[in-house]
Amino acid sequence: MAKIGIMSFAHMHAYSYAACLKELAGAELAAVWDDDARRGRAAAKQFGTRFLADMDRFLASGLDGVIVTSENVKHRAMVERAAAAGKWILCEKPLAPTVADAKAMLQACKKARVGLGTAFPCRYSQSLIDAREQIRSGAFGEILAASCTNHGQFPGGWFAKNELAGGGATMDHTVHVADVLRWILGREFVSVYCELGNQFHQGAIKTDDLGSLHLEMEGGIQVSHLASWSRAKSFPTWGDVTIEFIGTDGVLLVDAFNQKLNVYSDAAVKAEWAYWGSNPDLGLVADFVRAVDTRTEPAVTGMDGLRATEVTVAAYKSARLGKMIKI
Amino acid sequence: MNVALIGCSGIGRVHAEAVVKCGLNLAVVADKNQAAAQALAMDFGGEVMTDGLAACARADVDVVAICTPTPTHGLFVKAAAKAGKDIFCEKPFCRTVAECEEALAAVNKAKVKLFVGHVVRYFQEFEAMKAQIAAGKIGQPGFAKLYRGGIFPQGAELWFRDYEKSGGVTFDCMIHDLDWVRYVFGEPKRIFCQALMKAHAELPQDYSQVTMRMKNGVIATVIGTWAHPHGFRVKAEICGSGGMIQFDSHDAPLNVQKRQTGAGSGMIVPSSPVDKSPYQLEWEDFAGWLAGRNKPRVTPRDAIRAVQMAESALKSAETKRPVAL
Repeated sequence: MAKIGIMSFAHMHAYSYAACLKELAGAELAAVWDDDARRGRAAAKQFGTRFLADMDRFLASGLDGVIVTSENVKHRAMVERAAAAGKWILCEKPLAPTVADAKAMLQACKKARVGLGTAFPCRYSQSLIDAREQIRSGAFGEILAASCTNHGQFPGGWFAKNELAGGGATMDHTVHVADVLRWILGREFVSVYCELGNQFHQGAIKTDDLGSLHLEMEGGIQVSHLASWSRAKSFPTWGDVTIEFIGTDGVLLVDAFNQKLNVYSDAAVKAEWAYWGSNPDLGLVADFVRAVDTRTEPAVTGMDGLRATEVTVAAYKSARLGKMIKI
Repeated sequence: MNVALIGCSGIGRVHAEAVVKCGLNLAVVADKNQAAAQALAMDFGGEVMTDGLAACARADVDVVAICTPTPTHGLFVKAAAKAGKDIFCEKPFCRTVAECEEALAAVNKAKVKLFVGHVVRYFQEFEAMKAQIAAGKIGQPGFAKLYRGGIFPQGAELWFRDYEKSGGVTFDCMIHDLDWVRYVFGEPKRIFCQALMKAHAELPQDYSQVTMRMKNGVIATVIGTWAHPHGFRVKAEICGSGGMIQFDSHDAPLNVQKRQTGAGSGMIVPSSPVDKSPYQLEWEDFAGWLAGRNKPRVTPRDAIRAVQMAESALKSAETKRPVAL
């Protein structure tokens, strides 16, 4: 039984990972630590586990692995502490808001000889897995271009604070798709151009809520990506992950979460989409548990997290300088 | 009012129908491919000619409708203007801004009227979106994403495949959306573009991805595709501080699927069942202008600006740099 702890419930994904740990037969959510004791205590209570307010005590409590789901800028310090304590680590995306942080985290885990995974659950999305198989079978020829979106509703809180998130919607919503494209196409990104803006929340927040990225991958693959918090409060779901792949022998359009019921409830006033597809988070957490058990690297590595962070960081630089940036 | 229509395949057929439906007389149908002109005359009437320039010069013609491949637009606009005819020209106005300016100078000198068919300004769904925005339904608009395209078009003598002539999907098709974005959100500041422009003996592929920053701060991302194996789709999304609007042509009150034949399918540009087609509406607008009843929704300057935006997009695709507008 892999004993897993969760460090911080600042990121809402922590609640989903906790639920996955409860669901997996071979895993135990053994402890919660949070620098916000009230939040941590409430989460521990919700998931029927113990809360340890002291990080050292938490790390010395017999855990095999930890999931880090803090604010982006705190990832590095927590990962370094967990690595030093010999814990296997699954870190929420983006792995870090800066390349320097991400590299330091990889280094710390390498030195401590612990596994480091980046939480890219899209790799466990069945529609994306199927798309990858179709593309890799060669049935669509050579992929020449892709246009992508990762839109979301405005998450509020620390996500909109530069000092905690290291950026806005572009920081939040670029890495999933960047990772998926690397994984499906087996190519790296070479350059990016980005138009960045605070388009919807002027006055309310100081970070970007939209990034329109134009990227090139090895082999000249042309990619556009929209990262945003543009979905209205009245939108029927949280957002989307979509990719249109243009191949020499056909086109694939992935709308990864388009398995939904249209629900019209007078109690909710607005229309809602009830998702009924498989839960990608479960695959992600199951793989982490496997890695912990076998003392091997998680399938989605820290290096994958670093590569995605490099894309985001270059996008911000491009927007600042107004030109295409080499990655 | 006698109309001479030049260029009888593809979009020429659509305009012939609109001309007839808004009560104008289709007097001449001209195409260097006589069979194409004859086929059109069979359905909509008109005297068949093979010489477009001669059609422009005919004394009994009041209006010349130019539906030929883009590189010939300038030639026919100048000929029609010289003959004192009012002119309807299919978009894009010309292949370059320089040609546009030359053609417009001839129009102005002859004191005739020129209308360029940026028909998306007349599509009911696009007008409805514009009205929703104007009504404040989505608050302050901050972002637009437009998507348009499908299969690579055939065109007379497969002229679209010559990217020098057609400019590909960026110039020929996306120009609709570039114009509409400017129509709704005002002047653009800069444009960035990636374009495939792949040649292929059987079916070439073009796919264009553009982002524009408008002077008012709006970011507009536009995707144009001639890379799909079949079909045609239009999608639009406008997001603002207080909501968003989405449109998808796949949400339609009528869906038909015809059995595919061995010959394959050309591009069929869909339009929802409406009492008046957007093409008829633009012809009525043009005819109203000719009759002195109204100002047209599209001016020659609008059309030149659209060409400039599309030209700049192609320049950006080539240089991999944003191009200031």
